[in-house]
Amino acid sequence: MAQQIIFFVLAAIVIIFSILAVTSKQIIRSATYLLFVLLATAGFYLLLGYNYLFAVQIAVYAGGVMVLFIFAILLTNRPGESLKTELPVRRIAAGLTAIAGLAFCAHIIYYNVKKVSDLVAQADITPQQLGHTMMGTDKYQYLLPFETISILLLACIVGAIMIARKR
Amino acid sequence: MILNYSQPLEVTNLTSWLDAALRSSLPEFWVLLIEFVLVGVAFLAAYAVIALILIYAERKITAFFQARFGPNRVGKWGLLQSVADMVKILLKEIVKINRSDRFLFFAAPFFMIVASMATFGAIAFGKGLHAIDFNIGVLYVTAVSSLGIIGVLLAGWSSNNKYSMIGAMRSGAQFVSYELSAGFALMTIVVLAGTMQFSTMIEGQRYCWNLFNGHISSLIAFIIYLISGHAETNRGPFDLPEAESELTAGYHTEYSGLQFGFYYLAEYLNMFIIASIATAVFLGGYMPIQVKGWVAFNGIMEYIPSYIWFFGKTAVLIFLSLWVRWSFPRLRIDQLLNLEWKYLLPINLVNIVLMVILVLSGLTLTDLLPGWF
Amino acid sequence: MSSVSKYFSGLFTGIKSLLFGMSVTWKELWTKKVTRQYPENRDTLVISDRWRSELTMPHDENNEHACTACGICEMNCPNGTIKVISQMIETEDGKKKKILDKYQWDLGMCTFCNLCVLTCPSDAIKFENTFENAVFNREKLKQQLNHEGSKLRDKKKEPLAPKAE
Repeated sequence: MAQQIIFFVLAAIVIIFSILAVTSKQIIRSATYLLFVLLATAGFYLLLGYNYLFAVQIAVYAGGVMVLFIFAILLTNRPGESLKTELPVRRIAAGLTAIAGLAFCAHIIYYNVKKVSDLVAQADITPQQLGHTMMGTDKYQYLLPFETISILLLACIVGAIMIARKR
Repeated sequence: MILNYSQPLEVTNLTSWLDAALRSSLPEFWVLLIEFVLVGVAFLAAYAVIALILIYAERKITAFFQARFGPNRVGKWGLLQSVADMVKILLKEIVKINRSDRFLFFAAPFFMIVASMATFGAIAFGKGLHAIDFNIGVLYVTAVSSLGIIGVLLAGWSSNNKYSMIGAMRSGAQFVSYELSAGFALMTIVVLAGTMQFSTMIEGQRYCWNLFNGHISSLIAFIIYLISGHAETNRGPFDLPEAESELTAGYHTEYSGLQFGFYYLAEYLNMFIIASIATAVFLGGYMPIQVKGWVAFNGIMEYIPSYIWFFGKTAVLIFLSLWVRWSFPRLRIDQLLNLEWKYLLPINLVNIVLMVILVLSGLTLTDLLPGWF
Repeated sequence: MSSVSKYFSGLFTGIKSLLFGMSVTWKELWTKKVTRQYPENRDTLVISDRWRSELTMPHDENNEHACTACGICEMNCPNGTIKVISQMIETEDGKKKKILDKYQWDLGMCTFCNLCVLTCPSDAIKFENTFENAVFNREKLKQQLNHEGSKLRDKKKEPLAPKAE
């Protein structure tokens, strides 16, 4: 009962602020609304009992990515300026793309939601288990993707340095 | 817990009695609701009271460092000074700034206070005085405390004031960098303790604090944590976001009344939070000083309530932070970033590897002297 | 010096100097407080003689002062703080003479520049260091410096010695 109330409150927050984030004319406000969406998503994780995912969601998205977003926005030219409305053709195209993406996601979610709930059923995951899963090489363990992502990030950093040096 | 019966001063007795009394007369849902509300109110009250005490203590200690008396007119030894200041700040007008972004301007202090409050909830004040105890406690604390910086950045931007803006950008750069080494320092101790949960971590330090258990490595991590925690709270030599000679008051220049009060409270409470997390992680939290084998000594130490131990250890760390604050001149922004990226971070990374080696090859103090600790 | 050894020597000298700084402040923590607490220390309080806070006109034991009502102080005052009100009287031998009727000084407008004292040809006024000037009413700041019924001192008499503090 209490869980359902919290769920609906969080869902309302996610929906309202997602719409606001897209429709807001000021980019810094969009970023703030997006932050609320991410925080509410973290709330969902907490509701499900995924403490680790909750903390990572807040640390990475709310604390890391959003801070960088806001930082980047503040460094741009005239961040406070209101955006102009796009041409109708582009708006229609964007709307169609959004609907297509929504349909794609909805399809996948609709047909896989049962599988997910089966996988998720196991109770409390300890940090130790998580660590072993992340760093292991067996089946359902993720060392390879982990390292691949780290190489990707390293490449990004090197690229950024190359661009920044201008030599 | 052999000596549990001999601890009449613990708050656990009161809370368990209250819980039993509520459960005997009300259904589960209402019991939980009432307890949640009570815990929330208790935390809010503790938040305000601790901030008031800290403000008074800081002003006094600062004055002593400068061979002055500090507040000494309002009440005996000026004890009521911070209460009077609080009343004043509550009565002040909240000024509306022209051409500022009203919504963000209004929302920014709440980010700050919510982040600080959420971290505050994860502190173990004593036995049974622990509201949030996730199995990923340390990660939770680093995650939630990182939200505060968004409040600072938004405040700087929405004030429509170049001083606020520059202060916020400095604060952002500073916080993002130093959060990294604070996190790494805590991670070093997680390697040693083998857990991220605060309660387990504190129980594990019954006979040997983590600070001593990992000797060299722990000491380095402790110092780095104190430095970067100090920098995260924008205090002491690291207070360039609000460098008054250059930026008036930095990101909260345009705030007045209670909104300014939020930033003020959050600053002091963040100091307390950093100190108390350092207490829990390095100094055994609310555990009394205990020596294996000395039963009588342990009994006496256990008799002192756990929250006194906690607040005592935290007070020592807070004093250390004030001492540092009034010893060193303010850093320049390039010195500040150099300190983090050229010194603290590399040392920290090496330190983690060192700690892993210590733990794996059995060189921690508990492994070396099993009879003692 | 190679950059590596520079890095480490810089690190250690840095730590050393930080610890030295902290030891200095630690000693400072236990030094005697230098603050003087004002209303409590009235008895031992020493205010310099040169401190100017109240204009006075010294009167001797015969209730006589040295002011000839020449008005030079009034002319020299940059703020118009001083008002010398004189009256003409006829002396016994039939001469007309200007004597002082009221010497008014407004503390609220005075900048304590000392020009009046410096320019006074007969050393009739001087600044005192009685510094507790606060009153509840602005009218009380306007003072009359010559006493009631006082008169000009005879020139033959010794000039009044400066009042010892």
